[in-house]
Amino acid sequence: MDPFFLLLWLMRLAFLGLLYLVLFLVVRVLLRDLRAAARQASAELGRLVVVRCPSGDPAPGTVFVLDAVTTLGRDVNNSVVVDDAFVSGVHAALTYRGRAWYVEDLGSTNGTYVNGLRVVEPTLLGFGDAVVVGETQLRLDRGRRSEHRT
Amino acid sequence: MSAAGRPGARRPPVGRTTVRVGLALALAFAALAGAAGYWQVVRSEELVTRPDNPATRALRQEAVRGLILDRDGAVLADSRFDADGLPYRVYVDDTVSQVVGYASRRYGTAGLERTYDAYLVGLRTGDARTDLLSKFVPDPYDPRNLQTSLSLELQRRAVAELGADRGAVVMLDPRSGEVLVLASTPVFDASAVADPATSEAAFTGLQADAAQPLLPRATQGLYVPGSVFKIVTAAAGLRTGAIGRETRYPEQPPAEKDGLVVEGFRITDGHHPATASRELDLVQATEVSCNIWYALAGLATGGGGLADGAAAFGFGATLPFDLPTSASQVTNGGGPLPGGFADDVELANASYGQAETLATPLQMAMVAATVANDGVLMRPRLATALEDPDGGGTTTLGPTNLGQVLGPDDAAILVEAMTAAVEGELGRGYTSGAKVPGVLTAGKSGTAELGGSGEPHSWFIGFAPADDPTVAIAVLVERGGRGGERAAPLAGRMMAAYFDMVGR
Amino acid sequence: MTATAARQPVGLGSVRPRPRWRELALLVLVGLTLVVGSLSLGSTEAWLGSRGPGGVPPEARLADLGQLVVFLGAFLVVHLAMVLTARRVDQVLLPAVALLGGIGLLLMERLPQDLAGAYGGLSQTQLLWWLLATAVLGGLAVVVRSDAWLRLYRYSWAALGIALLLLTFVFGEEVNGARLTLTIGPISGQPTELLKVLLVVFLAGYLSENRPLLAESDLRIGPIRLPPLPYLAPMVAMWAIALSIVVVQRDLGAAMLFFAVFLALLYVATARWSYVIVGILLFAAGAAISYALFAHVRIRVDIWLDPWADPLGAGYQVVQALIAFARGGLIGTGLGAGLPEVGGRPPIPAIHTDFPLAALGEELGLVGLLAILGLYLVIIERGLRIAASAVDEFRAILAAGLALVIGVQAFIIAAGNLKLIPLTGITVPFISYGGSSLLANALIIGLLLAISDPGVDPPPIPRRPRRLRGAAARRASAVGGSR
Repeated sequence: MDPFFLLLWLMRLAFLGLLYLVLFLVVRVLLRDLRAAARQASAELGRLVVVRCPSGDPAPGTVFVLDAVTTLGRDVNNSVVVDDAFVSGVHAALTYRGRAWYVEDLGSTNGTYVNGLRVVEPTLLGFGDAVVVGETQLRLDRGRRSEHRT
Repeated sequence: MSAAGRPGARRPPVGRTTVRVGLALALAFAALAGAAGYWQVVRSEELVTRPDNPATRALRQEAVRGLILDRDGAVLADSRFDADGLPYRVYVDDTVSQVVGYASRRYGTAGLERTYDAYLVGLRTGDARTDLLSKFVPDPYDPRNLQTSLSLELQRRAVAELGADRGAVVMLDPRSGEVLVLASTPVFDASAVADPATSEAAFTGLQADAAQPLLPRATQGLYVPGSVFKIVTAAAGLRTGAIGRETRYPEQPPAEKDGLVVEGFRITDGHHPATASRELDLVQATEVSCNIWYALAGLATGGGGLADGAAAFGFGATLPFDLPTSASQVTNGGGPLPGGFADDVELANASYGQAETLATPLQMAMVAATVANDGVLMRPRLATALEDPDGGGTTTLGPTNLGQVLGPDDAAILVEAMTAAVEGELGRGYTSGAKVPGVLTAGKSGTAELGGSGEPHSWFIGFAPADDPTVAIAVLVERGGRGGERAAPLAGRMMAAYFDMVGR
Repeated sequence: MTATAARQPVGLGSVRPRPRWRELALLVLVGLTLVVGSLSLGSTEAWLGSRGPGGVPPEARLADLGQLVVFLGAFLVVHLAMVLTARRVDQVLLPAVALLGGIGLLLMERLPQDLAGAYGGLSQTQLLWWLLATAVLGGLAVVVRSDAWLRLYRYSWAALGIALLLLTFVFGEEVNGARLTLTIGPISGQPTELLKVLLVVFLAGYLSENRPLLAESDLRIGPIRLPPLPYLAPMVAMWAIALSIVVVQRDLGAAMLFFAVFLALLYVATARWSYVIVGILLFAAGAAISYALFAHVRIRVDIWLDPWADPLGAGYQVVQALIAFARGGLIGTGLGAGLPEVGGRPPIPAIHTDFPLAALGEELGLVGLLAILGLYLVIIERGLRIAASAVDEFRAILAAGLALVIGVQAFIIAAGNLKLIPLTGITVPFISYGGSSLLANALIIGLLLAISDPGVDPPPIPRRPRRLRGAAARRASAVGGSR
């Protein structure tokens, strides 16, 4: 067999083989990523616990699992509906940016307070911090990593 | 949802639908992979060997094509070289031109040269392992010689027998489907088309010729079959159970003199003196070729049964063959009756091969061969092997069974009927000319009326020896007169020549 | 965007480079693969050139090292830019695109250079477009840190798209029976390519805004639940747009692509099969009407049903493509050794735009073709994955839509090549020759990369329109009961 043609053949096969090597490595990355995602899928970003609420709706002790964007207010289309006469229709928002929670006031009448300080601009929120809207007090808690299996 | 009110959970999360859409798309891509596999693996060989593959066309200019050989090894197609050292084809004998075809630089290819182009130029060898390994060598092209089942000797004889008439002779081995003779007249000079010096003049001349020598009548000529079609009608009736060997009709034979009236149309039949006033059974009706018996048999079978029976022999579609064929038909179709017949008149007429029924000589040869082969239809074939000219081995192209068209018992009834038609006392006047001396011969003649004043087409189909057939034949002579007078004796002489050749 | 920057400084100066080893490793491997491919192509060409009288023994050589180096260099620059700006974006998309693009470039090098190309030959022009495309891709991936500009101006983007479409309807030039090309001053391109991106942006905005209403609606016709009629309007509008593209532009592929992506996104947003069924019925009706009324549609369908009815005329392209696939077989002829020329031309007309997959199917075989299809699946998976982990609906639908555009387009043209569906003249993403197509697809990948960064700006606070309040109240009461 002519060595040149052997070489030609080897290069043809090598090209195909390398195509599959790339594909294999990429798919391995994808699978790892999916497995990691499956582990994290049920991990919560954070929780909001009702500490005090004069009206009882939501009752103290109620836990809200938070989405990346959570709005607080009296209107029913807020993520967290607070029945409190001193809370505005759309009162405040909690947002998860990058790796931290922020709270911002959405132009409420009575203001939003973090650990007793009034929120004027989006403010970094730590776990355990107290958020007060109207007469209702809430606490930001770390989310749980539940045992959700895929 | 317990104590934890989860915002957003009110609506299904986007994630799940996204996964479903992704799965749907993955399925769609799996379909793509399936389609790619279908074209690149399952259909690959078939498509690559198609003559319109540009790879074959590109190679055709420079490749020294393989030889085409007859069954005894006689060369049918060879190559020579022009002044520039480029190869061109020469053909040994005009009588095989419509079978072997031609390969011309200017006008492309035809016939076997076209069908087996990819093998003759060496793009493929017919052997999967060789094809794969051949890609390891500098010149991957490896022309093959094409072995055919044709007998040049018999082919020449057939063309000589047809003489100045236009017509066709098909002879094949009913057991294997190997075609021995596939003659069409008039013949033409294929070498003149292939030779670059004469190519243009020869080809334009052939195209303008009113006798249409380029038309391979044996495979692509469509003719009214007349009484030879009665074998198909009988087979269809036997298949459905509508008729049996002992079926007799009360109208028969007295009705012969006045004819049979179907929906106001009178089917006439010449009176057969020997039958007196006997009612005929299947064998006798075939022996005397009684149109009225067959009209009644066809009506009893029904349009659907007749069409299905004919389709089992290959009617209604092009034939699986090494050359392009025309599709034979029982009816034009589109009518309200089952099978597409317009009315009972057409069905009755079609039952003895008139009306809109048309058949190629090859198709009728296959009918005879099927009856001869206990009802089993073999794929007709010309190419028997692809051979490496350098002695590297031969790929045999085996026979293909196309299925049981009718049961062995039914086939035996038809053998009896066709034997009676040639050997029987009643039929002497019609088909006895086909008798091969010393051999029990079976057959059926046909006289296809074309309307008008011209002579009818002269047909014969048959086989021999009737008790253990080794050869089946179909003969058509355009405007050749009565089947018993022209086609039957011709067929008899051809079969005799065959037995002389093989030594009985 | 500026407000966020003020709070969370991300200025270039303050950012430490963040290495992207996985992407780099994959890119290096892609480069190696392409070099081997080029070596295979170059040696095959040397062999073919040495055949015939007086030929010298062939030697192994690279096809065109310069072009390959420039191409890979462009991708490395994008990679470096993302490293330097510390983007935490997806690391798989870029190598996958580079491999597909590189294979396409090898094919362009191997085809006759005079097939097309305004700047030098076929492959040189394609390389030039690739440089622009990587600039677009990299630029978006590095710069974009907020999607507000897409989100807030969704109707403007839609209007721009419609305007482009109408301009093409009126001023478009007809090429090969399809009116696709629009020339404005020195710039000429195929607006439908850009339109598909604008469409996805608009749909993401529209669907995420109206998702609750579309998902929970009450109009029933027999067993089918429909949204309130006003919300059906976009569906009908999409259908009308698709049909008008078929009628006026004669561009079946784009129409099919738009409608399929629209339906898929509708399903993603609402999880309701009834929409998909209604959409498919609308599609079937549109297809039937088009088949009955328009000759160009009828011809396409008839060719699809039986290309061998006229293998030298109408069916030529499809028949030749299928034969090319067949010639390739399992492992192909090798790069450069396939595609027997007919009169000095490749055997399939429009091979560089509509049939590169047939060419690659022949030269790389079934094995290579499956790898290429696998790469598209990888891109789709990445896009949908970005969608699934997106922080809000707009971004999720946007990412899913962008990935679907590429996936569905690759499917439509591949299926057309393989006679699964009627052939439509759209490009193979990243492989086909053509500037508009490359730039639009680079735009898509750039956007996907940008929004895959978990550090990208959070979505703005949703301010639901007033008309949604009623539905929200009903929903809330239902949830309240279960609490």
